[in-house]
Amino acid sequence: MQDFLELAVSAAASGCVYGLVALAYLLVLRPTGIINFAVGEWAMIGAFAGYVLLTRFEWPYPLGMALAAALLALVGWLTERLTVRPLVERGAPVIAPILALLGMLVVFRETISLVFPPDPLPVPYPFGLGRLELGPLAGSYQSFFILAVTLAVFAAAWLFFERTVAGRAFEAVSLNRRAAALMGINLSRVTALSFAGGGAVASIAGLLVAPNVSAHYLMGVPLAIQGFTALVIGGVGRVEGALLGGVVLALAEQLTVRYAPIPSGYAQGVPLVLLMLFLMVRPGGLLKARA
Amino acid sequence: MSGFVKAGLAVLVLAGVPFFLGDYHNDVYRKLLLWVTLALGYNFLFGVCGQVAFSHFAFYGIGAYSIVILLFQLHLPLPLAALCGVGLCVLFALAVAIPSTRLEGFYLALATLALGQLFVVVLNEGGEVTGGTSGLANYRLPEVLGLSLRGPAYTGVIVLLLVFTFVVLARLDRSWFGRACRAVRDNPEAAAAMGIDVARTRVTAFTLTSALAGVAGMVYAFVDNTVNPPIFGIENAFLLLFMVIVGGAGRHAGAVIGAALLFLLPFWLAPLVGQHHVLVFGLLVVAAILFKPSGLVGIYDSVRARS
Amino acid sequence: MKRWLAVGLLALCATAAQAQETIKIGVITDRVGVSKPYSEPATDGLIFGADEINRKGGVLGRKIELLVEDDQSRPDISAALARKLIDQGAVFIVSISLTQATQQQQTVTMEAKTPQMTPMNSGDTLTTQLPNPYFWQTGPLGSIQIATLLAHARSKNLKQVALITDNSDLGQLLGRFFKAGLEKSGIQVVADEVVARGATTAMPQMQKIRAARPQAMFMAGVLTAENVLIFKAYRELGLKFPIHSSYNLSVPVYMTVAKGLIDGVTFVDAYDPEKPEVKQFEAAYRKATGKTPYNLNGYGYDGIMMVAEAIRRAGSTDKEKIRAAMQSLTYAGVMGAKGMKYHFPEGKRTGFDPNGMVVRVYEGDRQGRVVHVGQK
Repeated sequence: MQDFLELAVSAAASGCVYGLVALAYLLVLRPTGIINFAVGEWAMIGAFAGYVLLTRFEWPYPLGMALAAALLALVGWLTERLTVRPLVERGAPVIAPILALLGMLVVFRETISLVFPPDPLPVPYPFGLGRLELGPLAGSYQSFFILAVTLAVFAAAWLFFERTVAGRAFEAVSLNRRAAALMGINLSRVTALSFAGGGAVASIAGLLVAPNVSAHYLMGVPLAIQGFTALVIGGVGRVEGALLGGVVLALAEQLTVRYAPIPSGYAQGVPLVLLMLFLMVRPGGLLKARA
Repeated sequence: MSGFVKAGLAVLVLAGVPFFLGDYHNDVYRKLLLWVTLALGYNFLFGVCGQVAFSHFAFYGIGAYSIVILLFQLHLPLPLAALCGVGLCVLFALAVAIPSTRLEGFYLALATLALGQLFVVVLNEGGEVTGGTSGLANYRLPEVLGLSLRGPAYTGVIVLLLVFTFVVLARLDRSWFGRACRAVRDNPEAAAAMGIDVARTRVTAFTLTSALAGVAGMVYAFVDNTVNPPIFGIENAFLLLFMVIVGGAGRHAGAVIGAALLFLLPFWLAPLVGQHHVLVFGLLVVAAILFKPSGLVGIYDSVRARS
Repeated sequence: MKRWLAVGLLALCATAAQAQETIKIGVITDRVGVSKPYSEPATDGLIFGADEINRKGGVLGRKIELLVEDDQSRPDISAALARKLIDQGAVFIVSISLTQATQQQQTVTMEAKTPQMTPMNSGDTLTTQLPNPYFWQTGPLGSIQIATLLAHARSKNLKQVALITDNSDLGQLLGRFFKAGLEKSGIQVVADEVVARGATTAMPQMQKIRAARPQAMFMAGVLTAENVLIFKAYRELGLKFPIHSSYNLSVPVYMTVAKGLIDGVTFVDAYDPEKPEVKQFEAAYRKATGKTPYNLNGYGYDGIMMVAEAIRRAGSTDKEKIRAAMQSLTYAGVMGAKGMKYHFPEGKRTGFDPNGMVVRVYEGDRQGRVVHVGQK
């Protein structure tokens, strides 16, 4: 039982990272219908920004984190401006920007790979390597930090979509682009904001996971796949779905490894099989969109 | 010129080329032909039928591994092994296609991506049967009708495969099946209303192209006489997608051009730009999509239209 | 008139000197893919070695010309590049890339009867899967690594241990041979876990290991990030059993990314900093490049040195003579314990001496002293 609770905290932390990546997908997907596979690379750049700002320059953590998020918001905005907007304005089918972003995935990864040395680089923990016990739940400081930050980000996202005018504009655009444009909503601004927001959220995900896995140029693609899986499981209808999907995925992964009576090598395959089954049975995700 | 004659000429020309090439260029040429074969099949699935799948290389691998296992572990004679290999590919393709019909767009992409990854896991964990991470090696193609097919002669086999794939897909494309696929791609509801069995069309397209990929895999197994997991990894599936896009999705010529260009590009770029070649590659792909979404074939079209 | 004669003679001599061809040696490495963290430093060491050889006059009076190709860790491209190098006249191919890439190149070198060697790959199957008499492997084999670790741990009387690795090609291969070595010594492997590439935690695997109550844990993985996850989970769970690792822990990057986590971890290494050849190598490398070398550079350096030595002994660039010379080579290099020589006894093609590894221990965050040598 002790093991299970510890694993629950660990899975929750991993799930939060997946959830943040899923949220980064969601922020772009909802208003534009574009699936941005480059979010994994954005998270990686966030991790490297963390290395540069926090390890090399030793800035205070909140400042480093804020700057990393700002940097990735800029990267997101630039990506939209340079590689997505020309296609959208030309009326290209939605697959075109998706493929352009796949190409950008390669560009981002190679740029980092060429600028930094190939070995993984350390990113510091904001609270060190200690262990915290909250009642029956026990985990590392970092796990609880990840939980706290993720909940804050999701709360902010939820408030944005539900309570602010800009958020409602996003909703309107995702429901019906033409109608939204007719109502005077600036489509290109919404799109630009969504990419910037996606970038910032992805960078936070990267920064939160980097102290554990180190910043390295191959970390983007696994995160992108896990985040996308989380998104599909949770459903694209609701912001909370991203977090739920992430936690469900992480629990499935980690509980399988710990408890399934199969050789460890095969345990890697179980989340994949689960995902495929899930897609057969409930492709819409766990949480349906509100009517 | 009748189609038959055209095909025959193509075979002669393509199969004749290796006799003028050195070992290295022959090797690149063969692998290029195989990638073109895969791209043609993938183009049909993605461009004509609108199914975004990342499982193509898994079927390539299923074909490659099965022929090696059937020939050298189960010791079946070559014709039987080839038949069983094709049968296995069709079976696996059906097993994946039937449940996948209800999956749209990126759900299918995700499911096939998971399948591709699962395939590599199975290969790595396959112990004696798949050779684990080292794969299978130390085998040679047995004699066919008393002929030992090596070197440029084997390239002829690959050429036959390529031309066969092209002819089959081109024919299908022009037939009612091709029209049905396009209808399903563009508007499934309207297609259903017109009486097209959407699910059956999708399953057939997926099974056919995946089985063709499997056959290509069976041919690949004897190119380097080695099969191992990294050859069939999912990164290749993304490369295949890029090839079809850059060349021009939906057009056979596009698949050929895209595959040729993107396969040969690293060989040309690496001496020029050293380790930056992947970055240049990524930039080229993005540029191709930005400036010519209809692909390189679109450029050819617009040049022709102008003249 | 005399002047023109002199100029003419000079020109003749110059062309004669230019007509002396270089000896071409092919290098297939990964500059952009998954093997980059290991291939890059090894290739740097190799290039340094080639430069050093050329400065000292080359081989058989001719300079070495390196033909370096990037295979992106893609085995089928790797095989094609091997053919390219052979077509370009390479007399020896050095493989510094993914295990399967080296493997796939072998089908080419076997057919083309061209010598090929890998100075760093340590997968045991490379010399057993294909009967290729033109291929040699001088990297420290997985079986040697586990035997050395076990020799060091003999005094601890281990009966039940855990094994953990990653899902990379080499990690799986090392894991297989570690398990075989452990079981051969009569030690029971009570837990056999795998951390997948891209994992965000190793907590479930370490929990499972904790539940099996091992006396020690052997790590066979070669992916840095994933190994660090293992250390983190180990620490978080408050585990105390000793950790013995493959040679991957000898890479200096752990001193920065695993700070505070590796004190007391023992690992096998092929690099003894106290060895005179190593000190010489480090001084020369620092002088030439301004950087301090580490063990990965040494593998590449030893590789090119052995290739040059084989060609020297062959007395020509005839591939068959080089093959014979390589097979009968003994060479004392930078890597390996003090006094170790690479050699290929009884027609075997693995050159790293079974007693040539050392066991070192991390003291704090630094790579500490050598605590055991060889398999005795």
